[in-house]
Amino acid sequence: MLNQIVDALKQRSDLAGWTVRHVQTRGTQVYAVPQGIESQRAVDGERYLIDVLRNTSTAEGSPAMGSGDASLLPGDDINHAIDQATLVAGLVANPVHGLPGPAAFPDVPLCDADLQKDAYTVMQGVMERIRVAAVKHADVRLTAAECFGEIHTTHLVNSRGIDAEQESTQIDIEFVLHSQKGDRESETFDAMTRRRVADLGLEDVIEDHVRYTLDSLEADTPASWQGPVVLRDDALTIFMAGDNLNGSVIQTLASAASKYAGISPWEVGGPVFRGEVKGDSFTVWANRSMPFGSASDRFDAEGLPAQRVELIRENEFAAFAASQRYADYLQIPASGAFGNIELPAGKTSAAALLAEPHVEIVQFSWFNPDPITGDFATEIRFGYLVQNGKRKPFRGGQLVGNYMDALADVRWSAETGFFGTYLGPHTARFNELKIAGGSE
Amino acid sequence: MPELKLPSAMADLRPALGEIVGLGSQRAPYFSALLSSRHGLTILVDNREEQVTERPPAAGTVLSAFDGATNFERAIGGFTREEIQKAARDFINGISFQRYMPEAQSEHRGDFVTPVQIDPMELSVQEKLDRCREVQRRVKGRDPRIVNVRVMYRELNEHTVFADPHADLAQRVQRVGMFVIVIVAGPAGDVRYDVLVKSGSAGWEVLSWSDEEIQSVVDGALALLSAERIEPGEYRIITAPGVSGTICHESFGHGVETDMFLKERARAAHFIDKVVGSPLVNIADDPSQPGSYGSYFFDDEGYMAAPTQIVENGVFRRGITDRYSAAALEIPRSANGRRQDYSRKAYARMSNTYFAPGTSRLEDMIAQVDQGIFLDKWSSGMEDPQGWGIQVTCHYGHEIKGGKITDRVFAPIGISGYVPDVLQSITAVSNKLHMDGGTCGKGHKEQVPVASGGPYLLLTARLG
Repeated sequence: MLNQIVDALKQRSDLAGWTVRHVQTRGTQVYAVPQGIESQRAVDGERYLIDVLRNTSTAEGSPAMGSGDASLLPGDDINHAIDQATLVAGLVANPVHGLPGPAAFPDVPLCDADLQKDAYTVMQGVMERIRVAAVKHADVRLTAAECFGEIHTTHLVNSRGIDAEQESTQIDIEFVLHSQKGDRESETFDAMTRRRVADLGLEDVIEDHVRYTLDSLEADTPASWQGPVVLRDDALTIFMAGDNLNGSVIQTLASAASKYAGISPWEVGGPVFRGEVKGDSFTVWANRSMPFGSASDRFDAEGLPAQRVELIRENEFAAFAASQRYADYLQIPASGAFGNIELPAGKTSAAALLAEPHVEIVQFSWFNPDPITGDFATEIRFGYLVQNGKRKPFRGGQLVGNYMDALADVRWSAETGFFGTYLGPHTARFNELKIAGGSE
Repeated sequence: MPELKLPSAMADLRPALGEIVGLGSQRAPYFSALLSSRHGLTILVDNREEQVTERPPAAGTVLSAFDGATNFERAIGGFTREEIQKAARDFINGISFQRYMPEAQSEHRGDFVTPVQIDPMELSVQEKLDRCREVQRRVKGRDPRIVNVRVMYRELNEHTVFADPHADLAQRVQRVGMFVIVIVAGPAGDVRYDVLVKSGSAGWEVLSWSDEEIQSVVDGALALLSAERIEPGEYRIITAPGVSGTICHESFGHGVETDMFLKERARAAHFIDKVVGSPLVNIADDPSQPGSYGSYFFDDEGYMAAPTQIVENGVFRRGITDRYSAAALEIPRSANGRRQDYSRKAYARMSNTYFAPGTSRLEDMIAQVDQGIFLDKWSSGMEDPQGWGIQVTCHYGHEIKGGKITDRVFAPIGISGYVPDVLQSITAVSNKLHMDGGTCGKGHKEQVPVASGGPYLLLTARLG
């Protein structure tokens, strides 16, 4: 059917360009509850996504460009879909922009070979490893787990000559650990997305969460705090790269689309911080070529090859992440979809960053700063006050501050780690953050 | 009267579902088939560009076989008759089902369509685009500090067919929403924005804007240029309906999804028929609420929509269920078994969840507050069913001083606290109900359309 769609698009003289993607997904899902396996699912999907460009003109008669899209399931009417997309493209008059041309697509590792061969067996194995790792601890119970394994295949063809394929795997897991002591109950929840089972680090992650679950039984509401706050591993990843509901502030402000819309005040060569930089200087890349990165690919939805884009160099803004459309609008290089966040290693050992006193936030309820202003007031699900040689657990309270101000006063660890969407220092010490506690 | 208008492949497959269900029922204790198509349209108009994009459709068939212990499912993209028939034969082979007698069900047959006055499926894309342009034109010139005005229209068309040995159901649910986003810049280049949203399970008739509404979003954005951060602490607050709804959604919405009871994740499981809030607190979930964004006629497990009273006069009564958790916990069903789309399983999910209105007048409530905060708009929330912590982030709020709302604005503002403490502190509930539509996840995935709302509430909470 892909060839039929391509042939039909080639017949259209009213189009300035087109892209078609054939996307196939197959996977398996396992869901567990305390009583056993709640649900076992096998899932397949296949669709064709068509994007077209059409020359139009503005109300004043200047050349313009319109875009339209359509999706097809196998067996759907190809010409009807193309007609619809073409019709829509004729309705709008945006600045002239184009499509990417052929390029060398890097060979970014994206697959778990075992999952490609037998997703069902691999995901059953992951579920069993979660169960075995949790059952070692008599005082903690695994009360829910979900394991999804998927294989995605994309074949992209466009009117400028791109004809490329890529295959990737994706593993999503969630688990809940529960404990009880008298009337007090506690739980911890974790969700992870990786491309390979090997990158889940399952046993270590569950060991950590067993400890958090037990410590949570002793947790109280924190007092208010102003001073050093430490983020590590998953909490730091969420701070830097966002979660699957929200991107980070950096993703918004470094986006060419935001610049074009008047949302981002950042200028190339200008500072990204509004005040004095008191901590380590800040450099960050948006990296789609990171091996096994959750947001990595060989090419994106437009057909732009994977790139590693230096967004911020030594506290100065270096480049916008730009799709072809916004690159053409702003007359800047196209870099494609944003990808993963990468930071260079810091200069301080993680051990030194853990000097007392400090607060360590292990888990946010949902770290969701305002993507434009960077202001946040976010509830803390679980953390520790570390002082006088003790780690006192707490739940609740709000971390209050501004995202970019926080990054202007942070020190990064020399040791790095890979966390799916983030590669960089695994520990960060923010020197002056405020926690609004439950008591003064 | 709008028509069902099933996608053609779905309509072609529907007559074969009786045979497919019969085939599956020969081996599985309970067998059902769901055809689900969710597609839509997004239109964006701002000062600098326009976009019309299709929402990528999620369309497929789910065959479910349930034996009381495990729900086995085969989900297949599309509605190809031969492929579905083959899958129905193949996928239950090799499964060793436990003995299970499904609960007796009454017969349900019928086709249902969201009532609309201006049917989005009858309007051309050009007409919808022109309507968005008109709204954008009305907003953009109102103040020189406006750097952009974004009008975003979202249309979601859901077609569902459900069949099991006792049901043959079809529905078309039509949802629409429009966002007006005003972006302003201050003299130092600082950028702020405000948003106004209208939505419903309805047609374009719910997407009209008065001049006052349009001016309010411009004024909101401009006021944010001088917003302060609030001093953390405990405050008397009045929550606008959207904020009330978010508190409701995150506390006795997510907290009473009974799959969470099964997973021992919900503290509410220990509080059935116990006091959890002030006697003024009444909370319900109602997928049959006319016009609200989260409405439907039957859930993704074929259960007919009806209201559920969750909290009655401050006492927690019952949760909302999917089939699996209701069977495992041996509790009555409610029509809340919902899927993100065919590729995901059904969970217990909210529909339209709200605090019921009371008897107070807003003016009287404000007059009761000597020093406090009026929370105008919510921006996000997150559940904590086990810990009963609450996180609701508000885009902004106004100071209340001497029983009057002042021009002093704080942003953003986080509400935190222990759910029963927050609900116990409610001392007045206003007399008007307003619902806000949106999208809700289970944790960080499984997105479904919902609405939440309520009246204005007067309560005490920690802000930061």
